[in-house]
Amino acid sequence: MAEAWIRGKSAALDVAIAEAASLLAASRLPVIAGLGTDVAGARAAIKLAQSVGGVVDHMHSEALLRDLDVMREAGMMVTTPNEARVRADFLLLVGPGLIEAWPALPERLFANRRIVWLCPDASAKPENTYQNMVLVGDNPLDLPVILPALRARCAGRPVANPLLALATIDLLVAELRKVRFGVAIWSAARQDGLIIEMLCGLVDDLNKRTRFSGLPLAPSDNAAAVQQVAGWMTGFPLRSGFGRGFPEHDPWRFEASRLIDSGEADCALWISAYGARPPAWKRNPPLVALTAKPDTLGADVTIAVGRPGIDHDAVEHLAATATLSAVSANKPTTAMSVASVLGRIRAALPAARPC
Amino acid sequence: MLTRLAGGRVIDPANGRDAVGDIFIRDGRIVDAPSSGIADETYNVSKRIVMAGAIDVHSHIAGNNETMGRLLLPEQRYPSDVVHPGHFPQPRGTWNTFETGRIYATMGFTTVVEPAVLPHQAMQAHLELADIPIIDKATLTVLGNDDFLLNLLHRREGPDAIRDYVAWTLGTSRGLGIKVINAGGVAAFKDNLRAFSLDDEVPVYGVSSRAIMKSLQQAVHELKLPHPLHVHCNNLGMAGNVETALATIAAAEGLPLHLAHVQFYGYGTEGPRGFSSGGARLAEAVNAAGSVTVDVGQVMFGQTVTISCDVLRQFNARNGARPRKWMICDGDSNGGGIVPYNYRGTDFFNAVQWAVGLELFLLTKDPWRVFFTTDHPNGAPFTAYPDILALLMDRDLRTEWISRLPKEAMAVTTLASIAREYTLTEVAIMTRAAPAKLLGLKDRGHLGPGALADIAVYEAHTDKAKMFREAALVFKDGQLVVRDGALLDYPYGRTLTVHIERERTIERRMRDYYEERYGLSPDFMTVADAAVGRAESFETIPCLS
Repeated sequence: MAEAWIRGKSAALDVAIAEAASLLAASRLPVIAGLGTDVAGARAAIKLAQSVGGVVDHMHSEALLRDLDVMREAGMMVTTPNEARVRADFLLLVGPGLIEAWPALPERLFANRRIVWLCPDASAKPENTYQNMVLVGDNPLDLPVILPALRARCAGRPVANPLLALATIDLLVAELRKVRFGVAIWSAARQDGLIIEMLCGLVDDLNKRTRFSGLPLAPSDNAAAVQQVAGWMTGFPLRSGFGRGFPEHDPWRFEASRLIDSGEADCALWISAYGARPPAWKRNPPLVALTAKPDTLGADVTIAVGRPGIDHDAVEHLAATATLSAVSANKPTTAMSVASVLGRIRAALPAARPC
Repeated sequence: MLTRLAGGRVIDPANGRDAVGDIFIRDGRIVDAPSSGIADETYNVSKRIVMAGAIDVHSHIAGNNETMGRLLLPEQRYPSDVVHPGHFPQPRGTWNTFETGRIYATMGFTTVVEPAVLPHQAMQAHLELADIPIIDKATLTVLGNDDFLLNLLHRREGPDAIRDYVAWTLGTSRGLGIKVINAGGVAAFKDNLRAFSLDDEVPVYGVSSRAIMKSLQQAVHELKLPHPLHVHCNNLGMAGNVETALATIAAAEGLPLHLAHVQFYGYGTEGPRGFSSGGARLAEAVNAAGSVTVDVGQVMFGQTVTISCDVLRQFNARNGARPRKWMICDGDSNGGGIVPYNYRGTDFFNAVQWAVGLELFLLTKDPWRVFFTTDHPNGAPFTAYPDILALLMDRDLRTEWISRLPKEAMAVTTLASIAREYTLTEVAIMTRAAPAKLLGLKDRGHLGPGALADIAVYEAHTDKAKMFREAALVFKDGQLVVRDGALLDYPYGRTLTVHIERERTIERRMRDYYEERYGLSPDFMTVADAAVGRAESFETIPCLS
């Protein structure tokens, strides 16, 4: 089975590695993006970025930063999926994308407790609804009105035109006050930052009387783990760059798509080991792609890699526990890991980086 | 190859040595002087101070909570004037794993304990530790707010079951010892209690904080773990909490017990603001309780961030965040809270806290029982260590600091009246010999034959802060890694774990428990060498015989 391609033609792995290294070495500012990989792959990607003075960004940084920004601008009270499972007597599901973000959510959390789903998407369909679940609002676009109205009513303030019958909102307020340990669940991938901030504010308000916590659902492609690795190795979240020889973080400056589309970055290494998601940028700089499927992105250099936790053992963020945990390969193959490919690319770089 | 450090003042209190002399190194260990006296290489260290590498018993350097802190405060840096040009990956004081290892090493520290690893998050802690270069590391596993233990106590299953469970958890999380953080208080907060003291009971389980702590102390003792139970008491940071600390010391009842960052429990209620130093009373109690050890958790002024598994305390502190942002997590057992804080020299309370820490250092008579920490980063980043050592060693310097702090704050402490100055020997005990003993690390903290060649050589400056900030030479496992405060190389060290036998019956029982409570296999907690991803990451030490 072919494992590497150069401009669409099957190539020996060593040759592809050398070509990838020379593209990165020739670049003034490369981005190492996508980053759909395991912990070992993330470690290797950050090391490589250090070596080539590049930028690191994850394909789901937008969602990661949306949650992080609420924490960094205000404050956030959260809990774990395990604690929600064993302790919550009430779930407040907020908005769309929840089951998409965590397909096991109904199985793990929906039984044996009261659930209100505020402005759900179509995934709140009959097989996902339970007798203990009530849907309030039917359009996610109404959340910017309904959620603040709910928070205001919880604080005993009047509201005008809340899009729902005031009695419906007040019924929910009465219910929230009786909760012993409630958990609000959202997915930043499908949620506006201001809504998340409003929701976290509501959770904080509710803690004046009772216990309530939040459960942000992590984006896919191991984004939460990669963000943690970036955190400990660089001191910063994703969207950090090493262009000046030391790590710097700036969510705007180091956004991969912006760097590529503006022409500031002139080369990209794209990693999508959980599939072969394409990058979202519009220009076509020299591209090295590490993907789980063979040559599908039309990159200059493509190297097929194994799927973490499927083809090879991996450490990943588990949705069920929200921890970094070791996962054994469930269909082990000889496919190379992202870490091993990146290690070989790094070893193939010219010793001194051109200024 | 035989290496000789020639002619330095060797301060090695564990071996009763304080004299000018030589140290010989071969294959990463300290060896006897060869009869020939001839070495393959010689470092002239005359007029310099030679000590074993320093050991930090309590510094939050790794794990999910620390990294959430990094993400929450991208602006937070280790205060580092020194820019290291050249080939090292991260040349500025960024708050990350590499800089943690580099800065510790340049100060002459070679072993550091991360004291708060939740069993479910052990994998991440070990991944992070593996990425900290140069120094060796160890972790303490946090118990005391976990459902399984509280249930064992609730059902009065007895010490054998508790001991087996402690052994299982410690082995699974690959820790060196056991820590308890606000025993029961974090679990009680989940049931909406907002305050929790030593004799309060956790709702539902009906067990007191005292009972939890005593059961863990007993288990640690029976398992013959070298490090005593490491206790973060109830009521951290509250006026009048010296009573909690005194009650906890009394509860040791003659068995070993280590109280962490006691500065944060050294507060009385006297004075015009109802907040005063209880440092003298606390130190007196420590002096009288021979089985108790403490580390201080010194406060220094400046921006830092408090990171703690004491969720109740952090929740109550969140609205005092400076700057105003925070993260609180109700975890599977303890969880965590991250609250930025800026200790100000103009703030009455912060100035009292600073004085309480120094009182505890200076009034605790036995340097073998008081340990040198800032509870990094809670009282101050560990980068403040050299300045604290200078304050301990120089009364005039303290007097000068006191003159710049609020008078009404100094009036509710005894600091100004304390004349004691730490000697270099006492510093060597407090930062080397005593921590090695407290942790059960026989080949560390001293310079006798057979010891690891973890060695720090300092210039004998009159400016003690300068002396301890930039070691002249640092050897790790015999390799020279620092010269004149600059890093020469960054080999990766090991994580120390205690060797512990686990009963088969508890293994089975824990599988059933995880399946029933969480619908999961406990395998998600496993910390395997291959997953950590660095060769020879672990070193195992034995239990007490």
